[in-house]
Amino acid sequence: MIPILGLAAGVLLGLVFDPTVPLWLQPYLPIAVVAALDAVFGGFRARLDGIFDAKVFVISFVSNVVVAALIVFLGDQLGVGAQLSTAVVVVLGIRIFGNAAAIRRHVFRA
Amino acid sequence: MTSARPAGGVRSLGASLLDDVLAETLDPAYAQAAAARAARGEQRAPSRWGGQVLVALVMVVAGLLIAVTYDQAAAKAQGRQEVRAALVRDIQARSELGDELAGQLDELRVEVSRTSDDLLAATTEGQRALDALARAEQGTAALAVTGPGLLITLANAEAEADDDPVGGTSEADPRGRVQDGDLQLVVNALWAAGAEAISINGQRLGPTSAIRFAGEAVLVDFRPVTNPYEVRAIGDPDALAREFLLDAEVQSLAAVSLNFGLRFDFAKEEELSLPAAGSPELRSAELLDTRRAAGTDPTPGG
Repeated sequence: MIPILGLAAGVLLGLVFDPTVPLWLQPYLPIAVVAALDAVFGGFRARLDGIFDAKVFVISFVSNVVVAALIVFLGDQLGVGAQLSTAVVVVLGIRIFGNAAAIRRHVFRA
Repeated sequence: MTSARPAGGVRSLGASLLDDVLAETLDPAYAQAAAARAARGEQRAPSRWGGQVLVALVMVVAGLLIAVTYDQAAAKAQGRQEVRAALVRDIQARSELGDELAGQLDELRVEVSRTSDDLLAATTEGQRALDALARAEQGTAALAVTGPGLLITLANAEAEADDDPVGGTSEADPRGRVQDGDLQLVVNALWAAGAEAISINGQRLGPTSAIRFAGEAVLVDFRPVTNPYEVRAIGDPDALAREFLLDAEVQSLAAVSLNFGLRFDFAKEEELSLPAAGSPELRSAELLDTRRAAGTDPTPGG
């Protein structure tokens, strides 16, 4: 329950205070969000599986976001930023989808 | 690492990579941590306060990230629209200003010519200069003229009805289009036939006018004119038509346009009115020997 409240609080904070993001960071926000979503879905599924671990969750979240942004940054430097973004989104998208399916199986027993 | 592999057969690296991506949706670290706990004999992860707070904080960050990114995307779309609207407003304001200035220029030019006419008309020498000026203005297409003449219409070939607009050759046959050379040919033939003034689509041709091609458009005096091209020529219609049709180049153009479906019509008109050409640029000026007054000194530029 607390994590969901935290998520809602974060969304509210972001919408209310509307923090300005430095320009150089802006291109990496969408990919960071996808990575964060992957970590959040993974954590939720692990909780349902009964193997949730706070340390693993925090580390996977941070490393996911940082690595995804780094990969895109590296791609931008090499001139393949768009393609690498696509690759990251595809891989993370598949994982999110798989985790969502697992969560669905847990919740609806189907 | 822990995903089950289908038995049998040699699997390529690419296939196993895809298998990993598709099968291993959960971070294996969770399973490893659970296994480590089981090895230590613990049943579940201990729900320490520190861990809970940390998880909540990470979730706050995730929510913040989502909200900020959403905001950014929305602001970007809105910003684009605002910028576009501002640019449109700018363009409108500038073109209004340009129109206003052009109007002012016309007024001032009329005033200048009236004043100079008044001054010159006072003396016989001035009268002679005035007559010369009038002739020169006629020649440089500086005055609007009306009179009988010829109206020649050139138009691109119509697209054939059974042409497939999607597949096949998307490019229209360039020979079915009016080229700058065709217009030049017509205009030259008209001058040769004794035309006194010529305009193309309402664009008066002066002695320095150029007819050129730029991409798809024909430019007359660097202003684009579009299909169909209406060439108006003032002069005696009968003489013009006779001379014009006798021109060998015009005859070959007529044959070509018949072959490729170009429209090439001409009609005698009782009353054509041609606008004045754009304001002539002052390109050279020279001192008058008779009067070296300060007022007649040519000024550079203009």
